Amino acid sequence: MQNFWKALRASSILGAIGAVTVLLFGGWSSAVMGWLLGTAAGYTNSHDGLWPKPKIGAQMGAKTGLILGIWLAVASLVEGLIVRPLSGQTAISFPQALQYGLLGLVMAVVWSTVMSTIQSLTDPVQRRRMTWLLMALFLVVFPMVDQRAATGWIATVIQILIFAMLALGLNITVGYAGLLDLGYAAFFAIGAYTTGMLSSPHLGIEWNFWIVIWIAAAVAAIAGLVLGSPTLPLRGDYLAIVTLGFGEIVPIVFRNLTAIRIVEPISGLFATLLNRPELAICLVGCEEPLNLTNGEAGINPIGRPSLPFLGTFRSDNYLPWYYLVLLLVVFSVFMINRLRVSRLGRAWTAIREDELAASAMGINRVNVKLLAFAMGATFAGFAGAFYASYITAIFPSVFDFSVSVIILCMVILGGLGNMAGVLLGCVIIMGADRLFLPQLAQVLKGFLNTTVLPNIANPALRDFLAISFDPIQMRLFLFGLVLVVMMIVRPEGLVPSARRKAELRSEDPVVNESLADVRSV
Amino acid sequence: MLELIDVHTYYGNIQALKGISIHVEPGEVVTLIGSNGAGKTTTLRTIQGLLRPRQGKILFEGQDLSSSSSPEIVRLGIAQSPEGRMIFPRMTVLENLEMGAFHRQDKAGIQADMERVFTLFPRLQERIKQKGGTLSGGEQQMLAIARALMARPRLLLLDEPSMGLAPMLVNQIFSIIHEISDQGTTILLVEQNARMALTVANRGYVLQTGEIVLTGSAKELQVNETVRKAYLGEE
Repeated sequence: MQNFWKALRASSILGAIGAVTVLLFGGWSSAVMGWLLGTAAGYTNSHDGLWPKPKIGAQMGAKTGLILGIWLAVASLVEGLIVRPLSGQTAISFPQALQYGLLGLVMAVVWSTVMSTIQSLTDPVQRRRMTWLLMALFLVVFPMVDQRAATGWIATVIQILIFAMLALGLNITVGYAGLLDLGYAAFFAIGAYTTGMLSSPHLGIEWNFWIVIWIAAAVAAIAGLVLGSPTLPLRGDYLAIVTLGFGEIVPIVFRNLTAIRIVEPISGLFATLLNRPELAICLVGCEEPLNLTNGEAGINPIGRPSLPFLGTFRSDNYLPWYYLVLLLVVFSVFMINRLRVSRLGRAWTAIREDELAASAMGINRVNVKLLAFAMGATFAGFAGAFYASYITAIFPSVFDFSVSVIILCMVILGGLGNMAGVLLGCVIIMGADRLFLPQLAQVLKGFLNTTVLPNIANPALRDFLAISFDPIQMRLFLFGLVLVVMMIVRPEGLVPSARRKAELRSEDPVVNESLADVRSV
Repeated sequence: MLELIDVHTYYGNIQALKGISIHVEPGEVVTLIGSNGAGKTTTLRTIQGLLRPRQGKILFEGQDLSSSSSPEIVRLGIAQSPEGRMIFPRMTVLENLEMGAFHRQDKAGIQADMERVFTLFPRLQERIKQKGGTLSGGEQQMLAIARALMARPRLLLLDEPSMGLAPMLVNQIFSIIHEISDQGTTILLVEQNARMALTVANRGYVLQTGEIVLTGSAKELQVNETVRKAYLGEE
């Protein structure tokens, strides 16, 4: 009985998430959710080797999966038989809805059992290896499953992965080195524009994507150094304001680099003094001013990657894009993890903890801080290059302040300094923003049009209702609300790093003592 | 070994050191005593390269330090246990010690020094996995000194090791300082607790509002009228 409650608790949050998703999307989404959430449930309710034997783990996993599956099955039936007709979509037959629901249930039970069994393996090496294997399998086959289930989520997943790279990069600067950067989108923009300028007919330079992506990362890293150097003596609030300014300047610069003419300065001075313009030696934009970024209209089209056998990546086939961005994210995770445990990573932690003590230990704080900016920016450069090539068009307005803030929110929501947390925060925010809300808007609109509005006689009320129920309009409000609640309820993030947790949980007597100690000094 | 010649250091426009000259010979324990705001910590920070002298010279084994960065100075063999301990509160004891050896690459040497430090401070070995911030004040002080030793310094700068500690712990810390000195490390000790400082030191300087007002062997200073009145609280 106790086990039952444990299973129920473990699967209730995931079950609710799954049910909402199925209610909105319907169809085979229950199967996809059963697979995804079943695996997650199997992991969360049994990691840390909670259960001594694989057999018990499997039993618990099956129970958890069953409860989760019931959520999904019920949601499938409700969606097919009630939500669909009410929101103006064609209803589906009971057997069909049952089929959707049952597959979801089976998937949930199977994957929860499998994951739970793996999690209760006694050998930690084996356990970790199997978990990784299962996750890798998951990521690799996801596009196929998505295609079979006709859920059409892959385009959003690619967006999520782009932002995952950005969040991981920002986590270096903010999470590891403790340097608050409010202008991170600038590096994203620099990566994207570098790619745009180097592989587009706009300037007549069309280099190969596989070369340009490295150049973009390098240029972003250099921009990181450029931003880093004036901020070296600054801390906290002041640093945040300078980075904010940088984030504002960069898109404006790209917006305005439309008519460049550079004259060699000495001859230019003579030309002005002698009032003989023909003396000036022109270097750039001589015949007509050079239009570097095409202003608000942006750079379009931008070259796409191509591979032997596969040919050039196409916009109607998401698979190669998915695998490319997945590869980039995996590469980022690997690299950042290596950095974290390296000498440089330890130096970042030390600088964050106590700058003066760190430099008394012989840490070169100038280099260490500059490298935190540069390494963070590098990953934004990769993300920018991929983004530019994937969308094939870039505009300055894409890289405004709200992007920096959203990335920062992912890092904070998930847990500063913890990569798994940051990735989770990214999935939650982007998933809610790009997947849930648009679908919710659509379903709500259908519901209003077919069920509510025809039954309302008063035309003024009808008009009011028709325009005021749009979740997309409320996205920033919802977003802000979530953040406020998070900061009050769980300031250390969803998956905090052990260090951050100690820092923020003030009721921890141990930390209180150390703070009191510092104060008395 | 270390020589400061007419060093002037400023915080912005405020002059903290008004031309001080001190020297430390190899193997010595030299103490710098003085009241609050006399410039003791400023002197150590200037030596360490955390502050720049506006005038004057700092020579370490004949080499001028006044334009070297602190990482270079640490590499030359000067390490500091800073005032107020300044350990890394959210790193474990082990990680703190590893940070002390940050500039070193010799794994075997670091391991040997780690063992040496644990013989000096057995308490730290007991707490090796604990977060620095969770240690008691005395243990944090031990950790700060141990961390400085991990740099394998030839000159160890100690800034107020007795600050905020219970008298019994002060005695313990000073006997360890004595031991470190016996093992061959030269020490420049900054203290407000002049009585304790003069018992371990060979020589001392008295610092008052940024100037050296008195110097001599520890024995001389102990019996000096001014010192007795101002710093030892005797009539």
